[in-house]
Amino acid sequence: MAKSMALNSAAGLAGMLKAGHKHMEGVDGATLRNIEAAKGLATIVRSSLGPNGMNKLVINHLEKIIVTSDCATIVKELEIQHPAAKMLELAAEMQEQECGDATNLTVSFAGELLKLCEDLLRMGLHTSEIVMGYKKAYEFLEKTLPSLVVENMEDTRNEAELIRICSPVLAAKQYGYENILAPLVAKACMQTMRKSGRASVTTDSVRIAKIIGGNISQSECIAGMVIMRGTEGSIQHAKGKVAVFACGVEASATEAKGTVLMKNADDLMSYNKSEEKKMDEIIKSIADAGTKILISGGTVSEMAMHFIERYGMMCIKITSKWDLRRICSATNSSALVRLGPPTPDEMGFCESVDVREFGVRKLCVFSQNPDAGQGCTVSTIILRASTSSVLNDLERAVDDGVNCISTLCQNGGLLPGGGATEIELSQRIKAYGDSCPGLEQYAIRSFAKALEFVPRTLAENSGQEPTDILAALQAAHANGKSNVGVDIEGGGNGTKEIGPDCLDLFAAKDSAFRLAIDATLTVLRVDQIIMSKPAGGGKQ
Amino acid sequence: MGRPGIILLREGTDTSQGKPQLISNINACQAVAEAVKTTLGPRGMDKLVFDGRKVTISNDGATIMALLEIAHPAAKTLVDISMSQDAEVGDGTTSVVLLASEMLKQVKEFVEAGVHPQVLIRYMRQSAKLAVETVKKLAVPFEGEKGREMLLKCAGTALNSKLIASHQDLFAPMVVEAVSGLKSDLSDLNLIAVKKVPGGEVRSSFLVKGVAFKKTFSYAGHEQMTKKFIKPKILLLNVELELKSEKENAEVRITDPDQYQSIVDAEWSVIYEKLDKCVDSGANIVLSKLPIGDLATQYFADKGLFCAGRVDVGDMVRVGKATGAVIQTSTNGIAPEVIGNCGMFEEKRIGDERFNLFTECPSVETATIVLRGGSEQFIEESHRSMHDAIMVVKRSLKSQAIVAGGGAVEMEVAKVLREESLKIEGKGQLVMQSFARALEIVPRQLADNAGYDATDVLNALRKKHFHEQDGKWFGVDIKEGGICDTYEAGVWEPSINKINSLAAAGEAACVILSIDETVRNPKSEQPGAQPQAQQGRQGGGGMSGMMGNAMDIANNGARRGKLGHGVNYMKGRGGG
Repeated sequence: MAKSMALNSAAGLAGMLKAGHKHMEGVDGATLRNIEAAKGLATIVRSSLGPNGMNKLVINHLEKIIVTSDCATIVKELEIQHPAAKMLELAAEMQEQECGDATNLTVSFAGELLKLCEDLLRMGLHTSEIVMGYKKAYEFLEKTLPSLVVENMEDTRNEAELIRICSPVLAAKQYGYENILAPLVAKACMQTMRKSGRASVTTDSVRIAKIIGGNISQSECIAGMVIMRGTEGSIQHAKGKVAVFACGVEASATEAKGTVLMKNADDLMSYNKSEEKKMDEIIKSIADAGTKILISGGTVSEMAMHFIERYGMMCIKITSKWDLRRICSATNSSALVRLGPPTPDEMGFCESVDVREFGVRKLCVFSQNPDAGQGCTVSTIILRASTSSVLNDLERAVDDGVNCISTLCQNGGLLPGGGATEIELSQRIKAYGDSCPGLEQYAIRSFAKALEFVPRTLAENSGQEPTDILAALQAAHANGKSNVGVDIEGGGNGTKEIGPDCLDLFAAKDSAFRLAIDATLTVLRVDQIIMSKPAGGGKQ
Repeated sequence: MGRPGIILLREGTDTSQGKPQLISNINACQAVAEAVKTTLGPRGMDKLVFDGRKVTISNDGATIMALLEIAHPAAKTLVDISMSQDAEVGDGTTSVVLLASEMLKQVKEFVEAGVHPQVLIRYMRQSAKLAVETVKKLAVPFEGEKGREMLLKCAGTALNSKLIASHQDLFAPMVVEAVSGLKSDLSDLNLIAVKKVPGGEVRSSFLVKGVAFKKTFSYAGHEQMTKKFIKPKILLLNVELELKSEKENAEVRITDPDQYQSIVDAEWSVIYEKLDKCVDSGANIVLSKLPIGDLATQYFADKGLFCAGRVDVGDMVRVGKATGAVIQTSTNGIAPEVIGNCGMFEEKRIGDERFNLFTECPSVETATIVLRGGSEQFIEESHRSMHDAIMVVKRSLKSQAIVAGGGAVEMEVAKVLREESLKIEGKGQLVMQSFARALEIVPRQLADNAGYDATDVLNALRKKHFHEQDGKWFGVDIKEGGICDTYEAGVWEPSINKINSLAAAGEAACVILSIDETVRNPKSEQPGAQPQAQQGRQGGGGMSGMMGNAMDIANNGARRGKLGHGVNYMKGRGGG
């Protein structure tokens, strides 16, 4: 490393920085290399685009096997090192957080933009001209995109409509299963929506329980929570008031080390009894408060269990703090940190708690009546599949579906999918580019061309002839049919009018384009890379 | 390092992409199936797996797959489906692996010919769905009276392929008896115990309708106890009946030497009080999870009670279920309703072990099967076979429908798929046909393993299924060679077994087909450090780390300290 640096740095930079740093500059040294790296990343993920995208098998550093076509996951697990490619990763991460979908569009589009500007650079254009051109094109795109909205969904409390909207999102991840998953996702989201005011879905309120075994058609949606373990005691069904204890249900021990000092024989004889009596009192007082279901965040001592059984309460142990918090919100109770009788407003209510058997696993199912009172704040989708990799991928798909509905609640705009939007944009941007006088014209044209990659990849991934389809699409769009897209089923000439059942979210697409262009411009603007020597020594 | 190359991924990351990757994955799966395929069916051979410490002889697919420790990431999918079949149905673990690998083998040529994997996947899924629907249509529902007979045959079929096949006339009724005693809605398998007693002959295995467990370690005085009770009352305890210090951290300080005796007396009276309460409860039999000491044993013997300490938790629960007793953690306030009862208790000698038997219980919710046999491995394998049979009977009860085995149902489904495939235009036709061909692996392997000419048998079967109306239940005749109506022959399996294995195999094949790239990141160098970061990522991990002692929360100081710990984890993951 030191040698290469010595060759590179004729300037005083080497003297300025600590030994062991890396330094690259100029179009050849930095920009093109960055482009190369970004392209490399885009090539990896682009074959996963669309419903017919292929999966990647990633084995991460913990030897965990991940099979997925979800771009955010792939990019995250790849452990990207190159700083420019990392920009793309960050863009994908942002997209995942913001919309939870269209991450592949972000990465592949940024990759495609960078790839095309490689040609421009070789043609002799300066990076600043390209940046200017891309910026102009993006501004135009931003203005045009809203005009392409074909539908604006206002009524987000309509289950059938939700199913229609999240189907294509789920199809992009689990093609062939969307007809099973979409109703589940829609139902789960519907249940958690407030009954009045603006409908909204928080992604945390839709939980997923994965159980290996069975097959996907046995998946179901539950209005409430699922705890992945059985009950502690013998009671398997209950209904009624819920008391949640964040602490363990056991005799409290002092934190400081103490010794019980006994003076005489009576002390000794009554010592154990008094402890027993105390526990009896506590449990009895909890039972007297009307508690039917007792949830503990810690251990439940055998003595406590004995009395819980005696007073006929159901006892469930939940060791995860997060689950405990969710169960509190699902049952509308507040967690107590000290063992004692809860006040009426600290207690929650659950319509029914059941132990159910799935395969060989036993689960505690807390279900609420979604139509009563304030409804349920948490709903759970129980997923079944025969292998863990399928399960995990299903989980990611459901996550995307929920995210999609949550985004939809904020912005109901919908665009035609299947590459129709991209082709239309591409054509309009091209026309706009032709009207621009300066050198940025080239960059704007490249931008337009980059947009074509979506329909091309969709066609490619579904095993069709991309060039033919692209030609057909362009002809159709030039003739004013602005919603013709790729027919991934491969009927006819590979194109079809995108109907109302294949729409993409405006918000997701908008933010994907924005993040992609941001990442692209950031990468392009870099003309010098200086990497200081990694701290810690050891590994180079 | 002359010119630094572009390092996109971490050093040491290994990626492979494209068609060769797919083909190599398929090959790996076939290699796995190759290893287990000879165990299929009644005439299947057993595998001896030596893992460095223990020898296991088995022909149970799931057991072998688990022991093989498969490292290939794609082939692991097959282990997964085998396990899930085991969890869901309990039997058919070999055939599910075989089916999945055969499906892949059949479509391999298409992959090589350049058909897009997504096209294959689409039609594989369609075929699998159709296959499952066909099995559902073919399934014969249970009829009330004949129900038991059907269960017997299902259990028999499951046992047929196992080591104890020759004794199925003994074991099948045993299994059916045990399972049908359970409450049908939430039958917990733990309620059927299988106890293994080495020695003796297989045929001396027997079923106890109630609970049986090996005599626990006992102290002096045990010999004097009554070993047989008619209609005894039973008390279950979770109390240590022994002279010992009441509390670990208690200390007695006395000022006067005279008090010394009073302290000793007090300790004795504490235990006598407990013992008296047990006796006063009216129980004849006292069982405890914890030890029952010398003193207590002698005391109970004097009072004419039977006692056993250190009883296994599972056995305690079963005794509770069978007799209606409730386990007590305190001897105070023993209410009459927590005392259980049964028709008969005795301690009996089985082989060279003594067993405690509770029989003629009021609620027959639990049963115990005592297995006998020559060698340890033999008993182990018998145990696995019994488990499979129990699961099969349980699932049959639940699904209430059966199909004929011996490859008959696979042949029929293959026929339906072939007919359907002709209605499809394009590549799907070929995919569905190869799916149908893949199903034929079951009868083919059955015949192969039995030593018959698989091709002849298969041809005969195809003819029968295609040309004759009543030929739908024809399968491989294992006993005589050739083909026979397996429905008539009583080779029955629960339909859910076939449904699950078809669905799981199809799913697994699709997963493997859908992978076009493998990226293997280098294993982290500090295995100790990384899992922590992983915990932090899951969010709950760091927090649950602080759950060590839940009482900490009440204690503010300790809480702050530990919370800091959890937060550190989160910080650790920082950049992602």
